[in-house]
Amino acid sequence: MIPGDFQIKKPSGKQMMLLSTLGIGGLAAAVVVVLGLTWVISAWMGTPIIFASEEGPEQPIAFPHTTHVQDLGMDCTFCHREVTKSAQATIPSVGMCMTCHQVVDGSTEAAQAEIEKIRDAYSSGDPIAWVRVHRVPDHVHFVHDAHISFFSERDGVAPTAVCSTCHGSVGSMEKVRQVRTLKMSDCVDCHRDNGAPTDCTTCHY
Amino acid sequence: MALTRRQFMTLTGGSAAAAVLFAACGVPEDELLVEPPVLMPEDMVSGRDNWYATVCRECASGEGVVVRVMEGRAKKIEGNVDYPVNAGKHSARCEAALQALYNPDRIRGPLVRAGERGTAQFEEISWTDAVSRLSFRLQNLRGERRQRRVVLATQPLSGHLGLVVRQFADKYGATYLPFESIEQTNLKTAVKAVFGQERPPDFDIENASFILSFGADFLNTWGSPVRYSRGYGNFRQGERERGTHYHVDSRFSMTAANADKWIPVKPGTEGLLALSIAHVIVKDDMGDSAAADALTGGDHSMLDPYAPDAVADRIGISSEKIHDIAHEFAEHSPAIAIGGGSAAAHTNGESSMTAIYSLNHLVGSVGVQGGLRFNPPPPLDSIAAPPSSGALSRWKTVVSDMRAGRIDALLMSGADPFYALPGSLDIRTASYDVPLIVSFSDIIDDSAAMADLVLPKHTALEDWGSDAPDFGPGYEMVGFQQPVVRPFFENRGAELGTRGFADVLMAVAQGVGIDLELGAETFRDVLRADARKLYDLRRGSVSAPTFGAFWNGVLQRGGWWDATATADAGAASPQQLDEFEEPQFDGGDGFDYYLTPFSQTGIGEGQRAHLPWMQATPDPITTATWRTWLEINIHVAEDLDIREGDVVKVTSPRGSIEALAFPHPGVPPDTVSIPLGQGHSMHGRYARDRGANVFAILAPLEDSKSGAFAWAATKVNIEKTDAWVRVPKFENTVPDLPVDEHHRVYQTTANDS
Amino acid sequence: MAESWGMIVDLDRCTGCQACVVACQSENNIPINEEEHFNQRRAIQWIRVERYWEGEFPNVRARFVPIFCQHCSDAPCEPVCPVYATYHNSEGLNVQVYNRCIGTRFCANGCPYHARFFNFWEPEWPESLTNQLNPDVTVRSRGIMEKCTFCIQRIRRTKRAATKSEGDSSAETIFANPELERALSPACVNACPTDTLVFGDLFEMLSARRAGERLPKPKNRAQEIVRRELQDAENGRGYRVLEEKGTNPSVIYLSKVDKETVEEAVSHG
Repeated sequence: MIPGDFQIKKPSGKQMMLLSTLGIGGLAAAVVVVLGLTWVISAWMGTPIIFASEEGPEQPIAFPHTTHVQDLGMDCTFCHREVTKSAQATIPSVGMCMTCHQVVDGSTEAAQAEIEKIRDAYSSGDPIAWVRVHRVPDHVHFVHDAHISFFSERDGVAPTAVCSTCHGSVGSMEKVRQVRTLKMSDCVDCHRDNGAPTDCTTCHY
Repeated sequence: MALTRRQFMTLTGGSAAAAVLFAACGVPEDELLVEPPVLMPEDMVSGRDNWYATVCRECASGEGVVVRVMEGRAKKIEGNVDYPVNAGKHSARCEAALQALYNPDRIRGPLVRAGERGTAQFEEISWTDAVSRLSFRLQNLRGERRQRRVVLATQPLSGHLGLVVRQFADKYGATYLPFESIEQTNLKTAVKAVFGQERPPDFDIENASFILSFGADFLNTWGSPVRYSRGYGNFRQGERERGTHYHVDSRFSMTAANADKWIPVKPGTEGLLALSIAHVIVKDDMGDSAAADALTGGDHSMLDPYAPDAVADRIGISSEKIHDIAHEFAEHSPAIAIGGGSAAAHTNGESSMTAIYSLNHLVGSVGVQGGLRFNPPPPLDSIAAPPSSGALSRWKTVVSDMRAGRIDALLMSGADPFYALPGSLDIRTASYDVPLIVSFSDIIDDSAAMADLVLPKHTALEDWGSDAPDFGPGYEMVGFQQPVVRPFFENRGAELGTRGFADVLMAVAQGVGIDLELGAETFRDVLRADARKLYDLRRGSVSAPTFGAFWNGVLQRGGWWDATATADAGAASPQQLDEFEEPQFDGGDGFDYYLTPFSQTGIGEGQRAHLPWMQATPDPITTATWRTWLEINIHVAEDLDIREGDVVKVTSPRGSIEALAFPHPGVPPDTVSIPLGQGHSMHGRYARDRGANVFAILAPLEDSKSGAFAWAATKVNIEKTDAWVRVPKFENTVPDLPVDEHHRVYQTTANDS
Repeated sequence: MAESWGMIVDLDRCTGCQACVVACQSENNIPINEEEHFNQRRAIQWIRVERYWEGEFPNVRARFVPIFCQHCSDAPCEPVCPVYATYHNSEGLNVQVYNRCIGTRFCANGCPYHARFFNFWEPEWPESLTNQLNPDVTVRSRGIMEKCTFCIQRIRRTKRAATKSEGDSSAETIFANPELERALSPACVNACPTDTLVFGDLFEMLSARRAGERLPKPKNRAQEIVRRELQDAENGRGYRVLEEKGTNPSVIYLSKVDKETVEEAVSHG
């Protein structure tokens, strides 16, 4: 053989087996990594249709928005009364529930059991550990009242009509769930569409 | 499905495949909870912040503050713009009331001693039990006619809390003894002697042309620093010509650093300097001649022994300098002489204060604009008396009575004598013969650790109260303190948690069966009843058609005041000056350095040592924090081969402590300074076993007249040890900024634009 | 938004009392500076009071200078950030976006004022002390750079309030109402007992200065001071720290008045 010349050695059967196992294994590993990453990235993007559960979390008291909003026709701001005045929408105090539920007992047995829980909480004074559904990270400062007054003034509608923009039709949900991703792209798209400031410090400080 | 950004970064980084599965599937439970409202009183649910006015009790000056409350939690303290004392500004100390409220070491309920006394082993009991235990013991002592052998010790109290405590002591018959580690006794007796006034005067610094201060660190810790600082800003750069300020002190304090001239004198000769200045003013006929006659008793020659030439050596400055000071002082009218702090803390403290404050008479600045204004008592008889102070001489008697078994019970609130009495009195062993020790402290401090029974009180932000400030604004005022948050331990039920000190005393009085004659069942109602008297005056800052509206208005604005109601009676006419009295020092040969202790900006004399913000507040001069350091002249230190951080043993005739050396150029060569406030054996996690307690080595010398603690009259020796510890200081945390001839970070100018 | 927020620091008023330092820590959720943090030179103080020594005993002096982020118009920290976590916004603020920051610390190296601080640890508080934390301010986690923001949360909050109550959120409207002015002013300014610190919209002054033009007619109290003290180099006391570096800071210092000779500084703190 002259120097520099080379000849491909034919692999033995055993080597072939090893190589193909490695190749297939590698491919499989690659697929797993890609799938894994896709999953993590989609989870991050938070497309709720694929990854978020259709139903919202179980709450300590099965509060039916459907009954209060759809059947009784109550405004969102009737209970979440600070939403037009402050940054937080605020959960109503138990005392507020009691203004009605001192006398309103509920039509079904299940409903009565849930209402009893509210009365217990009121008499014992123990706060109710509601499970939070909508949550933005600590470094995001979302202000409810500014958003609501902007949309209700621009469109000439009642504040209640604005809520569904982000929260969906809560009135028709048995268990409240998140319908939008509430990721930064979600916020920024809307800010761009509506001519709102997109300076970082609008929300981050 | 929710990932935090950090989780996402970790996961996409692919650092751990397992983490993908576990971290991404489950969401940390606490993130889903609605965090604030869960632990919040139901009626406070609101997304908005509320600002409530109250009075800050972190320092004795009692500043009016507004507290930002969100979701039932206090978030931020700012000055109350309406409040006369501080007019919207506040000190570093006010802010720390928040950390007192949310301190992790607060006592969560009444305690009874479970182990040996002093081991701080306690068991929790209910409030009913605690109050009845105390009432039972007090009732028995009363049955045996031994009420006088019950000692009730508090910090000097103003306002209605002072009223309740005084009534309790009176009606029960107990011995009431206020405790102040750094006493104002000499100031008060001197002000009484010189001006015939019960309360210290207010200084119109803003309109003064010249300030001559002796020892008082009035911009930092003495008197009402925020009030003085407000004036000081305008004294420097207000509408008027820039004022001049000379500061006489044996330590280079923050006030000395701000003065145009710092005049370091030998400790204890401040009064001598004042007399010498008086001599120059009288001799050169620059002052008020009537006052000069009165001060000298008509015989000007009585000041002759104080001629600058005769006393310059004893004071430690040149006679020309004394001349200059006297001329500057007398020629710039209005001029103010302020005395206090270390100048009042010698065995001749009272006579020094008398001499210093008499200078105001001499230059005619009493009761004039830019001079001294007097504080009238508030228009309520119940709180008209100023807070009384307990001199060291009285405490010495109490400690020896304790040792002799003549004290049956010691009740303490806001006073920590087991920490702050001079170590050689050894109150600790004396207290073993006291059958009952009760503490009302909100934290296990050195004194509460010795208690048999602890009845924890609310912090100021949870309690009612009022304040008729000792260092007032020069007119009638009553500050009102209201609870701005619910008691922090409220969720533990009515039988546990904390209670207001006044309310506990009232409950105990009821248990003992004595009538406090307060005319109300709760402390709040006591305040409300007196607010009605203010309402009936029909004048002042709050006018309302009904009492209900008036009460709300008073709470909303943080108090009641009437700027037109100034002190009507002028000052008493000048009294003849006393002769100078040589200061006595503890420590003769071998004790080469005067020890000048000082209160720290943050932790004071130790009462705020449990608050991490205060511990971490840099001392203005050294920028040191968290430790006990020793200020020593930079050249003396060089001679002794002492470098910054060297552990130095400081020995007085009464004991020794260790401190970290901090040489700097602003220390007189024959003096060393150590900050007070560290060296607690208890007092929570941030204070415990940290630094050294200066009180332990101070000699229990008293003022020859008033019996006040002469805390600057100890001499010490210093000795370098082999150890070295880095001084925790802010200096050099950031690299030096470039400093050269033309590009200074700070600039000075001779122009006053 | 045509504001350019700025601060005036009158050194002749400053007494070094530290009220601003603690007020800032309370407002901005700054982690507790433990003893070890000081020893490692990693304590965080968005505003600090530096102390400079002058002279020798007994004619010794100490000078106090509050230093904090100078919100430079041409900030050296901004171009070095690889992730645009720090930039100049339209209100003249040099902002730090915590969620962008990846902790390279290039900006801290670039800052001639050493006004930037790095979180070397996860901030920790005993549980009860967390009740005090300001919900309007992000708690910065480990690995993030932080610095003075001129209390932007207060600016945001007050502008919203002004829009609601006055129908306008301009600086003039806010500064015409003492209550709103106080709500907008940074925590240090509200605390400062001697009124050393003055906060305001310095847009006209700063842009004229940057362009090298004469300062125009002042529009508010802060601008009045700037014009009076900065215009006349002979008699005015105004200067900007390390201005010769071309950073164009938004903070104007007024020099300390001292009728006697000034000696060389020996060390600083």
